Amino acid sequence: MMHGETSQFDILIVGGGLVGSAAAWHLARLGLKVLLIERGHLNAGASGQNAGSLHFQIERRFLEQGEQAAADGARIVSLNRLAIADWRGLEDLLARPLDIAMHGGLMVAETEADMALLAFKVERENALGLPSQMLDGAALRERAPCLSPALAGAAWLAGEGHANPRILVDAFATGAQGRGAVIRVGTALKALTMARDGTYQAVLDGPDGETRVRVPRILLAAGHWVPRLAGLLGLNVPLYPAPLMMSVTDRAAPTLPFLIQHGGKRLSMKQTEDGNFLIGGGWPSRLARRADGSPDLDSPPLVEPANLRANLEVARRVMPAIAGQALLRTWTGMTCISADQLPIVGEVPAAPGLFVAAGGSLFTLGPTLARLLAQTIADGAAPEELAMFTPRRFAHLDAFAVLP
Amino acid sequence: MKRIEAGVTRPAPIAITIDGAAVQVHPGETLAVAVLAVSRRFRDDRAGQARGMFCNMGTCSECTVWVARDDGAWRRLRACLIPVEPGMQVRTRPPQPAPEAMT
Amino acid sequence: MTGYDIAIVGGGPAGLAAAERTIAAGLNTCVIDEQQRPGGQILRQPPTGFSVPGWLSGAPYRTGRALLRRVEADPRLHWLGCRSVLGITPCAQADGFGLTLSGTGGGLEHIAAARVIIAGGCYDMPVALPGWTLPGVMSAGSVQTLIKAQQVLPGQRIVLFGTHPLMIVLAQQIVAAGGQVEAVCFAQPFAAMAKAALAHLPRAVRTPGPLAAAAAGMAALRRHGVPVRYASPVIACEGADAVTHVRLADGTALPCEVAAMCYGFLPQADLPRQVGATMRWSDPAGGWEAVHDDAMRASVPGLYVAGETTGVAGSDAAMAQGAIAGLAAAQDAGALTPSQAHAAMRAPRRARAAMQGFIDLLRAVANPRPWLPKAAADTLLCRCEDIAAADVDRAIADAAALGDSFGASAIKLRCRVGMGLCQGRTCEHAVIRRIAARRGCPEAVVAGFRPRFPARAVSIADLLDHAE
Repeated sequence: MMHGETSQFDILIVGGGLVGSAAAWHLARLGLKVLLIERGHLNAGASGQNAGSLHFQIERRFLEQGEQAAADGARIVSLNRLAIADWRGLEDLLARPLDIAMHGGLMVAETEADMALLAFKVERENALGLPSQMLDGAALRERAPCLSPALAGAAWLAGEGHANPRILVDAFATGAQGRGAVIRVGTALKALTMARDGTYQAVLDGPDGETRVRVPRILLAAGHWVPRLAGLLGLNVPLYPAPLMMSVTDRAAPTLPFLIQHGGKRLSMKQTEDGNFLIGGGWPSRLARRADGSPDLDSPPLVEPANLRANLEVARRVMPAIAGQALLRTWTGMTCISADQLPIVGEVPAAPGLFVAAGGSLFTLGPTLARLLAQTIADGAAPEELAMFTPRRFAHLDAFAVLP
Repeated sequence: MKRIEAGVTRPAPIAITIDGAAVQVHPGETLAVAVLAVSRRFRDDRAGQARGMFCNMGTCSECTVWVARDDGAWRRLRACLIPVEPGMQVRTRPPQPAPEAMT
Repeated sequence: MTGYDIAIVGGGPAGLAAAERTIAAGLNTCVIDEQQRPGGQILRQPPTGFSVPGWLSGAPYRTGRALLRRVEADPRLHWLGCRSVLGITPCAQADGFGLTLSGTGGGLEHIAAARVIIAGGCYDMPVALPGWTLPGVMSAGSVQTLIKAQQVLPGQRIVLFGTHPLMIVLAQQIVAAGGQVEAVCFAQPFAAMAKAALAHLPRAVRTPGPLAAAAAGMAALRRHGVPVRYASPVIACEGADAVTHVRLADGTALPCEVAAMCYGFLPQADLPRQVGATMRWSDPAGGWEAVHDDAMRASVPGLYVAGETTGVAGSDAAMAQGAIAGLAAAQDAGALTPSQAHAAMRAPRRARAAMQGFIDLLRAVANPRPWLPKAAADTLLCRCEDIAAADVDRAIADAAALGDSFGASAIKLRCRVGMGLCQGRTCEHAVIRRIAARRGCPEAVVAGFRPRFPARAVSIADLLDHAE
């Protein structure tokens, strides 16, 4: 059946992951009437599949020479400081326990060359006001006796850690619902058009059939599906799928309170509240393929055995005792990466009222970006911290878009 | 547990160690039988309650115990699938990092 | 990496019947199984070195035993026992599959196979009731395989409870082994069983063997004075550190060292699900069975399924299906012409069709659905992570408050049910039932846990040290 057009909502949010749910929470609190739709069930995508790292030490690419890298590095650091504060306040804000552990993080080095890079990084971070510090091998062993005695040292940052990706989205979604947001799961965005008056007309396909809604604003927060959704309007959002994999071991007595990353290799490792070790760090899985050979973005990616072994090998080099654990499960998930590797968050210049938020690292930064984006959406404010993520940097891709 | 006697012949017994105590078993028997010969308890759950084996076909993992392998590392293995070997060291509680042989 | 024309997962009746056909067709065939020796659960053999006179000499085992002898003695069989299949991955470049195997005692291997036949069998349906995590409470299959293969009785006084007539067979085996069956407790009344049986009897008598065996079994239990109780549902297992007695609905306590449950069987489905084969909810007991065509081809090209993995129907049906799957694989490999394969499939197809009456009868008589005991709020549904029924129900209620599209994975994310060592095999069916009840939908439409690599938990040291 086709329900009549409704225009009772101020905004339609597409995507029931962390960014969509958190934005719904903030927007509902700001008094907007929110409709959030999710094609599957809440938290089914990258928001629930990622390994829950809270990492605030800056990435190597922001340490490069040059004004742009320096400026981006400075912005990232100021955003990370906001994010640390946001994560510290999240359990109070949402009034429920979220398994947030911020006991600090170690980016370890195996070689003196890695140590030199970390030292340079720490110097830059300190200059930008992020209180990281270098630990030599002896200091590292004292802080984390479970790690390999062969490690050269590490960069330490208090405030890093991990949270439980399995329960955060539910907290935001339930809270948003309590503030009047309407959440429809099992509901997909089937068609999207812009009317002459600049409003958006969306056809939603849900359990009760098709519904039409007319809204002044839309937020696409559907991870790697965002390009396809924007494509409904003929717009181009340069996000590309990045299939990854993560692994979890059986439970063990607590030995590792910190987030572990590696200065030179792909690794993230942590021990959860329940005692399981989570091992990841950006190792690729393999996209499933359709019968005709084309990539199948809707099916879960496949585990790549060689990468799984490589991932576990780095983990064992850093923490030899991990070899005594049993691998329970390796799972794959799909994040996405933008053309310039930074998330894309903000209003799309070619389509006023259309907002997007996707592009990786959105667990650590998700609560903060959703909060800033909600401010932008509600009152047109343009927080400085969002500037580097603006879709404006890809405006040239919509030079040939046809909109009313 | 009781071994069925009527007409059944088994290879001569060997000794393995379960939680530090020697246990006589017959080659071909599984670790599950060896543990069962001592007690119905195979492990403790998160509340400290004793647990026993359940499926005896490798499906439920209730009979998981720690076994020290030749390289000295402990493995968590399903007792119902592992044939006993002479001198095997088995723990029904999480072991310290090094098995007896290494200390 | 060792390569095979055919890799068969499971060395029970279905797998062995398939192997017999692919080997006869000249195909290089391996059979992978977690057990030391071929036979599967129904023909679980005593270890090499044991001598057991008259092992499984009864009529119901005769055909299977003959098949086992033939295939086990065939030097062309590559028997890969004591190994678990962790994952089956379609090859990225070529046709065929890569299989990752772990030794049940350690080690890791990779093999390649152009075609894979999954004949993974089934396992006892684990049914949560108060006290079911006490040591001494186990599955009927557990007791049976301890007797058949290991030649031990797990305890002296044994109570069998549930809905499945296999209890009659098991009680006889316990008595023959010198054990004491305190009681066989059918949850359902005799009249209900009789009524269910009568409806299917006219077709079931086409294969009278199992019916005769059941009657003989009942007579034997009467001779040995084993009490068989009907309309006697066990509502709890009780004891402090281990089970000491079971409690019947009428308050009766039956003392025991071992309480063995027997509510039917669920297909072993991890591997076909992991490979992405089309599955369907299995009636009536539940679980997921692999969908196949009339030659046992699964929905994934190059993948075949046979036996209980396709729906629980007993070992005779499994043997017929295994033969058909083996012939189909041989035909698809070019080792048999279509007409040769078709001709050879005629006999097993006819045999399988003739069994349908008895299979339907048994399913109806044994149907556990109306008689499943109730878990209490604090009964653990997930035995690995110790998640109680109330925790699962709360997660389901929370998920339902946000809409109705959720499946078992969403509940797992919320409360850790199914996240432990068994990877959800024990609790998934119960979680699905509870979701279906809450959503008011058929169980068949509730999505299950997403099956992941590895299909069995594996030591990280093994994964790393034995990698190629």
